Amino acid sequence: MGLILLFNAFNGLIQGAFYALMALGLALILGLNNTINFAQGAFMALAAYFAFTLVPYTGFWGALIAAPLLAGVIGFAVETVLVRRLYSRKDPIYTLLLTFGLALIIQDMIRTIWGAQGKPLAIPGFLNHPLSNTYFFLTGYRLFVVAVALIGTGALFAVLRFTRIGIRIRAGNADLETISALGVNIYLLRTANFIIGIVFAGVAGILAAGQLGLNPTMGDALIMPAFVAIVVGGVGSLVGSLLGGLIIGLASGITTAFFPAASEVVIYVIMGIMLVVRPRGLLGQEGLFE
Amino acid sequence: MNNPSGSFDRRNVLKAGAAVGVAGLLATPKPTWAASEKPIKIGMIDPITSIFAALGHSEIKGAKFAEAEINKKGGIMGRPLQLIVEDGAGSPGTSIDKAARLVSRDKIDFLIGAVNSASALALSQFANKHNLLYVCTGGHVDSLTGKDCHWNTFRTCSTTWMLTAGDFETLFKKFGKTWYFITTDYAFGHAEQADYITQLKKAGGKVVGGALAPVGTTDFSSYLIDVKAKKPKVLCLLLAGDDQVNCMKQISQFGIDKEIAVGGALIELEELQALPQAALYGWWTMEWYWKQPKTPHVAEFVKAYLAKYPGQYPTARSWFGYASVYAIKLAVERAKSIETLKVVKAMEGLVLPPEIALQPGTPAYRAEDHQLMLSMFPGHAIQTGKYPNLFEVSAIVPGAQLALPPAETGCKIKYPA
Repeated sequence: MGLILLFNAFNGLIQGAFYALMALGLALILGLNNTINFAQGAFMALAAYFAFTLVPYTGFWGALIAAPLLAGVIGFAVETVLVRRLYSRKDPIYTLLLTFGLALIIQDMIRTIWGAQGKPLAIPGFLNHPLSNTYFFLTGYRLFVVAVALIGTGALFAVLRFTRIGIRIRAGNADLETISALGVNIYLLRTANFIIGIVFAGVAGILAAGQLGLNPTMGDALIMPAFVAIVVGGVGSLVGSLLGGLIIGLASGITTAFFPAASEVVIYVIMGIMLVVRPRGLLGQEGLFE
Repeated sequence: MNNPSGSFDRRNVLKAGAAVGVAGLLATPKPTWAASEKPIKIGMIDPITSIFAALGHSEIKGAKFAEAEINKKGGIMGRPLQLIVEDGAGSPGTSIDKAARLVSRDKIDFLIGAVNSASALALSQFANKHNLLYVCTGGHVDSLTGKDCHWNTFRTCSTTWMLTAGDFETLFKKFGKTWYFITTDYAFGHAEQADYITQLKKAGGKVVGGALAPVGTTDFSSYLIDVKAKKPKVLCLLLAGDDQVNCMKQISQFGIDKEIAVGGALIELEELQALPQAALYGWWTMEWYWKQPKTPHVAEFVKAYLAKYPGQYPTARSWFGYASVYAIKLAVERAKSIETLKVVKAMEGLVLPPEIALQPGTPAYRAEDHQLMLSMFPGHAIQTGKYPNLFEVSAIVPGAQLALPPAETGCKIKYPA
């Protein structure tokens, strides 16, 4: 039992790294764009389908880079044409409804273009094997996903800390009006931030498709754990989102060792407890839920 | 409307007249049917969206294919057939809402459809309340033609019992006595697992472990860790749709299929299509397969189907849609009426002719429980297969040989007085 528990805990952490990657893009957009982006899951699916179409021409690695950028282009259009118009409305319900509708539209678009039939996304053969027989759940691909999650997160933190745009994004998170008054073009800043968030979603979507395959509804299954990770980790805090992802992955992994049927529910139980005991989440700012 | 007096001037009247004329032209019905021949309407509730969409689309294509064929050959008793499709999204609630709309708005004569068991049970109950003949295309739960059977419900796809009986012997004899189940957590999975366990115990086997996976589970790794620890001889997967695809992929990524025999009841061509080559393994049962070199009419059917839907081979689901529409046509012609009770009586014992059955033998809707005695196609996935050659049928087993005898299904049909 001890070994199984250890296996499951480790496995949960791998899954958690994956949730964290999805949550980061969501948290970015929630922070500066003040938008609860319900379409994040649909963007994940869209990027994965772009990758599916690109793989025959560019190979897996080319698609992993190009497809999220393509999704970013769509994100750019969505932000400038639609989301931007709702920034002035204080009530979050408007952007919530908009992105919820967008999610449905993108999903149906995928179904129309690529069909309802599920499709496999081929991943490079050398990633598709377990590393050892004892630790069979450590496949090359899973470790690769963890590596991408770590690198992606590291890169994002570096950008936010050391580049001018990153510092402005953080400043905007803290006080948008002041940095606007200081002469920063906040429209441009918000557009850039939205695109970065979508590109992150794209990378997560492709990685998910490599493991799970493609289907039009894949985004629905992916987005809920990402939301939970944000709520648990703390709205507005990127480190919190990372932590939240790891925590719910771990919890879900450990629960599976004892009671597999509850492994999906447990993350919502944690979210519920968190909302009652500490509504701002582990590292969240005060205000959004208090 | 800037005419203050409110009366029409000449120009407006001309415009309106022209518009009415054009509209009239557009609305003219096709001349093949005389005006007195009102269409016979079949309403179809099947998932166009949701996780069941791929299967739903196949059933709808099959049904539409039958509709076109029937109308080309003169309709049903000289009346055109009209198929009206609504999206049930795999949800019992939505399915019933849409069915109610088909009844009140479109005045349908018959109802068909459902991919998943929950929707099938709901539609069966709805049809019973509305005195409507319902042919279930693709919901497998035993009870639909068992303890929850209704006088007006028929089923074209198999029962879960037939699915499990189809390949139990092969799995048991070939691979061993200790089994582990990963089962989808709703009616279909529960029924399948219960059926397998009954057969396993009868044969002297043992269940060494099992887990219920909620619908929509994406990560099966933790389940597989437990499988490895329990070391079964057979890993029995009783999942559906995307869940089945996800689980099979992860099993192959972990290399488990190399150590433990993997199999289960139902596999669908739609699922195999979604799998990468490394994950094409295992022993399963198909309910119909497009490649039957020895069965007459199948090759012609496949050719005609491909002509209508280029590049898309008919699946078992396509055949469910196709056969269900034809079964209604045959029953109506036998009853010479579209009155529900008369058509129901005509459908009891109805044998599907070879060009519709598209399988060996004489599959019939059994009178006692209204279950079609269709054949099962046990076999295995082809490891190096390329679409559409993904499955090797090892035998075609007549349904009547696998199904529970009518006395054991728990179905007692009560007809309206």
